[in-house]
Amino acid sequence: MNDQGTMGGKAMPLLLMAPALLLLALIFLWPWLHYGWLSVHASSLLTGLKAVPNGGANWQRLLQDGRFWQDALQTLRFAGLSVLLELGLGLLMALSLHRPSRGRGVLRALMILPWALPGTVMALGWRWILNDPYGPLNGLLQALGGRSYPFLASPGTTWAFTVLADVWKTTPFVAIVLLAGLQSIPRDLEEALRLEGAGSWTLLRRLQWPLLGPYVALAVLFRLAQAFGVFDLIQLLTGGGPAGSTESLALYAYLNAMRFLDFGYSATLMVATFLLVVALSLVWLGWMRWQGARG
Amino acid sequence: MMRILLLCWSLAPLLWQLRTSFLVGDVLVGEQSQPGLSPWTLANYRLVLHGDPSLIQVLLNSTVLGLITTLLTLILALPCAYGLHALRGHLQRSIHAGLVGAALFPTVLLFLSLLQVARSLGLANHLLALSLPYAALSLPFAILLLQAAINDLPPELEDAARLDGLHTLQRLRLIVAPLLTPALASTGLLVFLASWNEYPIALTWLSRSDRLTLPAAMGRIASSSVYTIPYGPYAAATVLGSLPLLLLVLLFQRWIISGLTQGAVKG
Repeated sequence: MNDQGTMGGKAMPLLLMAPALLLLALIFLWPWLHYGWLSVHASSLLTGLKAVPNGGANWQRLLQDGRFWQDALQTLRFAGLSVLLELGLGLLMALSLHRPSRGRGVLRALMILPWALPGTVMALGWRWILNDPYGPLNGLLQALGGRSYPFLASPGTTWAFTVLADVWKTTPFVAIVLLAGLQSIPRDLEEALRLEGAGSWTLLRRLQWPLLGPYVALAVLFRLAQAFGVFDLIQLLTGGGPAGSTESLALYAYLNAMRFLDFGYSATLMVATFLLVVALSLVWLGWMRWQGARG
Repeated sequence: MMRILLLCWSLAPLLWQLRTSFLVGDVLVGEQSQPGLSPWTLANYRLVLHGDPSLIQVLLNSTVLGLITTLLTLILALPCAYGLHALRGHLQRSIHAGLVGAALFPTVLLFLSLLQVARSLGLANHLLALSLPYAALSLPFAILLLQAAINDLPPELEDAARLDGLHTLQRLRLIVAPLLTPALASTGLLVFLASWNEYPIALTWLSRSDRLTLPAAMGRIASSSVYTIPYGPYAAATVLGSLPLLLLVLLFQRWIISGLTQGAVKG
């Protein structure tokens, strides 16, 4: 629709938008002003939970806080690997949903189910599946003649399974975005290539993957930002353990606020995480643009 | 073949929860069930339905909150999307970019500030007060999705309505809103799902057990004891908590997927 000037200038549109924008400002913008202010104050049990200005002490502490840097690396590693696997598996899922067939609706519904269910619900489900020694995975190991393994007690396997659980839950989202991309490709192009004798692999490499570019960029951007804020899954599946080896930045900030009651430092961590998410998104967007300019 | 593998991957963990929910505790920890007694039981379901809080109460809380949040979000998002559509130039582009940024953003980072708002306004433990932050968290995506749908409407319609002398609000109510019914339904479903699944804010706002939402109740079970999670009852709660969503997804997958696609790709 094009109704430029039909609402009597900008007043009417702005009036229509005002309630939503006010709520958005309260929920999305105000917290950052508040965090910014809090991050230059001491507000913890030591100050009786009152905010006392402390200059840059929180930020100085952040720079020297080994746990922060370790969590930042862990979060980055988690987000990077999860998103990479989600992209691969999501592409497979999208391709298999793209082929027309009977019962495709039910198939799609069942495949997106992990994405639609609450993360909290299955986080504990995974804890049962990985239980030592009674979970099904250990049951399988024992049936094969092995011994049960404490999957959630050694850093390596715990980390691998948090990634796996995240991939399980969010791959359907990536698949749906990529499926939209596949369906935007004109059928004639696919059929022309097929008539030339191209198989599925050639089709994917020469036609579908290049045209999926913007959809991949979008899915990865969204998933990177979300995975960098991972909280529900880690808190409930591992609690950040063993020995902090799966702790994410969001969980560290949460613990500072709710367990150590150090609101000043928690706010500092929030701001730092926010800046890292923005930086990560910009790097990804910049890289995609560079790729686009080059290709 | 590929489809069957992918389907197994998506469903196997859920089916295992289903199986677990019907097993007696002894069998879950590797012992034989008592001779002559069946290892299958409904005891886990009875326990969660009569527990404190009863799972019925929890599901009711989540449902009511989800419906109110959905309604509130749509009421705020529709006029906003219409206004944004009519706005031109720099202002439109900046607001649009801001909404995209907000939609991408990991919202867990907001919880501490929101908790302090809740405390200072006395909103903690008020279930319905949660619909305010929930609506706000869903608004960016909802507005973008509805705006994309309005852009797809034929411009002649509104021109005709204007010639008939309808003013802006009448056009929104009588022409645009009815045509947007499918987009409103898609948006509503996604908002409901998001509200049903939200965890960090519910975790920090709600402490009274009769006010908990499903994710908050699940979190409470998990933190009650690190070593002995009651997996049987927990699995039963998983199954009951997932059934409403399974129904929604099976019935409305087309709308959910089109909403996700429209909002993500066009927005």
